[in-house]
Amino acid sequence: MRNLAEKWPAAPDFATATLSKGSVSVRTLGGLNQLLVSGDLAAWSKASGLAGEGVGAGAIANGNKYMVRIARDRVLAVGGQPFPIVAGWHAAGFAVTVMDAGLHVFEIEGPGLDRLIARGTALDPGAASRSASILFAGAGVLFYRFGDSDRARLHVDRGLAPYLWEWFEQAQVL
Amino acid sequence: MQLFPCPFCGPREESEFHYGGEAGNLRPDGSEVTAERWAGYLHMRDNPKGPTREIWVHLTCGEFFAMSRDSVNHKVSGSSVLGEAEHGA
Repeated sequence: MRNLAEKWPAAPDFATATLSKGSVSVRTLGGLNQLLVSGDLAAWSKASGLAGEGVGAGAIANGNKYMVRIARDRVLAVGGQPFPIVAGWHAAGFAVTVMDAGLHVFEIEGPGLDRLIARGTALDPGAASRSASILFAGAGVLFYRFGDSDRARLHVDRGLAPYLWEWFEQAQVL
Repeated sequence: MQLFPCPFCGPREESEFHYGGEAGNLRPDGSEVTAERWAGYLHMRDNPKGPTREIWVHLTCGEFFAMSRDSVNHKVSGSSVLGEAEHGA
């Protein structure tokens, strides 16, 4: 029987894999706690103590815990430590889903970051957008910067991470 | 690449959007709806040449909205959050 897995390149060991070409490097960021919050975001802010509406596409997030805006009624809470909020429906009007294993996080860093972003999406780098959810290289991702303008994070459905890695490997701008 | 204005996110590339139909084509409700009315809802379209108002969805944020554009020159004149009437509620 044919081994159909040979039709695709093997996924790298994301724990150690690093791409570094020219002025940009890409690696996987493991160990982040990610909660998908849907519903009444004001009630969520009150319960979690996380203020603000979350960063949008290309905006700069900071700190050990922050929120990424997805939609009018949905955010992704990201933190280095577990959030003291249980998953499931909360009577205050919001639902919490643990996404730690569902979303793979790439961190891209370097002065050539903007060229890579411009290759992957038509998003205007100079215009703010309330949602961080964009189409990047044909895949739905959450895109924002972290710490400074030369470092970005992409959260992508885990099943699409090998595809996106292959895209990074082949991107002419890297 | 054309940019479409999502009422929530702002301008985004057209490949992030999906067409949802002509605005104002509300789903009939109730047991007294005639076959002609159902057929009109399901099959009959105005298909205007020129200015038109349509329902679109922004796939990345899930926002359904109404967009006004011209079917001849493709110029987009604006977009707005859906009211209850246009949801067909």
